[in-house]
Amino acid sequence: MTTKTPEQINEDLLRPLEGTSPRYLAALTFFVLVVLAGAAAFLHQVYAGLGVTGLNRPVFWGFYITDFVFWIGLSHAGTLISAILRLSNATWRRPVTRCAEVITVFALSIGAMFPVVHLGRPWLAFWLFPYPSERGIWPNIRSPLLWDFFAINTYLLGSVTFLVLPILPDMALVRDRTTGWKKKLYHVLSLGWTGTPRQWSRLEMAMRIMAVAVIPVAVSVHSIVSWDFAMAPVPGWHSTIFAPYFVCGAIFSGIAALIIAMALLRKFLHLEDYLLRIHFENLGKLLLVMSLLWFYFVFAERLTTWYGNGSSEMAVFWPTQSGSYAPLFWAMVVCNFVIPFPILAIKKLRTIAGTVVASIGVVIGMWLERFLIIVPSLSHKYLPYSYGSYRPSFTEIIITVATFAGLAMLYMLFSKIIPIISVWELKAGEVTETATAPALARPEQVRAD
Amino acid sequence: MVIDLDRCTGCEACVVACHAENNIATVGEDQAARARAMHWIRVERYYEGEFPNVKTKFMPVPCQQCGAAPCEPVCPTFASYHTIEGLNGQVYNRCIGTRYCANACPYNTRFFNFYNPVWDKPLDLQLNPDVSVRSEGIMEKCTFCVQRIKAGEVQAAAEKRLVKDGEIQPACVQSCPTQAMVFGDLSDPESEASRLARSNRATRLLDELGTFPKVTYLQRGSWHDNENA
Amino acid sequence: MASVNSIYGLFADPDAADRGVNALRHAGVAQDQIVVMSSEPHEGHAFSLLDHKTIMPWLAALGGVVGGACGFLLARYTQVAYPEPLITGGMPLVAPFPSAIVTYELTMMGAVITTVVTLLITARLLKWKQPLYDSEISYGKILVGVLGPSGAARTDLENRLRSAGAEKIKTTGQL
Repeated sequence: MTTKTPEQINEDLLRPLEGTSPRYLAALTFFVLVVLAGAAAFLHQVYAGLGVTGLNRPVFWGFYITDFVFWIGLSHAGTLISAILRLSNATWRRPVTRCAEVITVFALSIGAMFPVVHLGRPWLAFWLFPYPSERGIWPNIRSPLLWDFFAINTYLLGSVTFLVLPILPDMALVRDRTTGWKKKLYHVLSLGWTGTPRQWSRLEMAMRIMAVAVIPVAVSVHSIVSWDFAMAPVPGWHSTIFAPYFVCGAIFSGIAALIIAMALLRKFLHLEDYLLRIHFENLGKLLLVMSLLWFYFVFAERLTTWYGNGSSEMAVFWPTQSGSYAPLFWAMVVCNFVIPFPILAIKKLRTIAGTVVASIGVVIGMWLERFLIIVPSLSHKYLPYSYGSYRPSFTEIIITVATFAGLAMLYMLFSKIIPIISVWELKAGEVTETATAPALARPEQVRAD
Repeated sequence: MVIDLDRCTGCEACVVACHAENNIATVGEDQAARARAMHWIRVERYYEGEFPNVKTKFMPVPCQQCGAAPCEPVCPTFASYHTIEGLNGQVYNRCIGTRYCANACPYNTRFFNFYNPVWDKPLDLQLNPDVSVRSEGIMEKCTFCVQRIKAGEVQAAAEKRLVKDGEIQPACVQSCPTQAMVFGDLSDPESEASRLARSNRATRLLDELGTFPKVTYLQRGSWHDNENA
Repeated sequence: MASVNSIYGLFADPDAADRGVNALRHAGVAQDQIVVMSSEPHEGHAFSLLDHKTIMPWLAALGGVVGGACGFLLARYTQVAYPEPLITGGMPLVAPFPSAIVTYELTMMGAVITTVVTLLITARLLKWKQPLYDSEISYGKILVGVLGPSGAARTDLENRLRSAGAEKIKTTGQL
């Protein structure tokens, strides 16, 4: 680690909050425009009807649900990883946790949008809320979509809390170091944080509880997303392996997204002294493990299907291996395994650039995986008379692209308002703990004096 | 319902009758080419044998009104549910268009309104007042002409009697020129439909999925055809 | 701020802050009068142990149990609340697995909400007007002080803080 004084750390990490460069504004404007294009496409879809998508019978789910699963998967980057690292007291986590948790909150929000975007009547999405209504009907708890509703809301609440709680001390820091309207703003945002030992110890305790709570929630969220598919008697979906398979894929894509985000932050916010090669290397090792796990799951799933040789299962199996979906399938294997494996396994290649290349491959590959889970199964469902195919429309593509721009936009805005690296945690990590600190005088002693 | 495949000639009169009875929109050529046509009952065509000795087989497929329907529990808003009479109800007003039911349906007999429905003139003049018109963004499917079932029950109740077997006919059954389809109450073991459903020629579509379909298909293949054949 | 009487020292060194806290305790200042503030947790230092006991984990567990109970009752009620049973797919009305999933999610939500509320209350957050604060804390100083000391003890406390290693001594209010 570098030996920076606390004051240097303060200055380095708070610098991004101070002003905006023309380059920043140009990039932000670009992303905002793309997001607006996506919003326009969605409004057009609401106005004209879902006919503007490429969906048809029998492929009733396409890009939107792919994006849904992909983004929810991506959201497993942050909170889950940061919680595990916190609990295991990995000291190298300190500069990493917040940028990871931010990905979670934003990716999850984006992902949670898609079930609404894909609805036939999105203006009625609130019917999923369990509230007593004049319609005299409650939502159906037996539907996996309701499980999604509960799981995503719990996870969103948990990960927002997980992100926000350790921000409070940093808000107080910014409050004290700024003037004018900014001071007032951060005064409110700090919730009156002063930094008494009471507050510090309560915060540590709350973070420990949250870390314990958020890990099983994260696992349950992606399990439930997988059960959206596994609950339906559709060949290729109706499988017990789906929940762990999806969770593994989610963490896989999540780490990849984190590595990309960290590399971008490092470059544009000049955090070369904080996000070090060792961070990329450690995350790269995690990514390698997940890549192997992912390969293992794909192999196990494919093997079981192939050996079982059920006619309806094989009708889905062959198009993905050697038929019309084969190019996508093998591209996925290349992106998720063939490219990342050697890069991450060979120490010389496990550099910052190397891990970023591997991560880009993984993000693309995992998106393809989601697509390949959904579409081939739906298009080859039982009765051959109803086989179909699917081609995304312009509307679906623009909305998909807009969500990537949306993440970039939110991330850029966030890093201007809140220090993207947790200042106090980093400083706490720099302190070499001294064994010579005197013990707290006991009240009895006080009285004896 | 019982459908005798050996009698079906594939004339598709049932499809036309169904469209007329149930106010099903004709989506037009473009949309039909994009696999968005809505036929609550369709006649599937399969070919047997090698050219030139090819035989065509026809199989009319309406909603199978499963006893344990995969489409029902996945609906988050109870739009798809099981009625007391054992039909798979579809409540259009509750539907928000997740299309999950359509994915869960192994028979692909659920249809989505990708656009607001339109009827080419003069089809708009023959809309059935007993059947609600569906809007864009919701699912619809075969109801076994529930409006006819209800009307028959009301009529019978008014005459203080039970519904007679064969009194109620969905549009497809009524229109079948070869009388390949028989509709009746499966809970009455003496009804014609129940009797045929016990035939040796009886099979059920994708029976192995455990959906308990209420449509029975009769077809050749059994070497000891009984008198029902 | 000026309405509260206080006396405090600013320390640069956490070890010195430790000595300052103990000096105040030896002087007989009650625990709830001693104020410590820092921009880092300084785990491992004695003053970080000042009222660190909390039953937060137990409250979180309790919140989880309450949340789970609400979840199960919600899942149950929403399925049986109709005059005619709404059967789907031949499942029982209160289907075990789906109810378990909803119960589980609301258990976790209950625990999370309880943790946050407990933190906000016991850490005395959401109070934007603090009686005593000094923005030098954010420049790395550690504040050790006494809230509402008696005027007579002022010099004694100042001396104790200074000999513990305080860089600056400040007072607020009518002292």
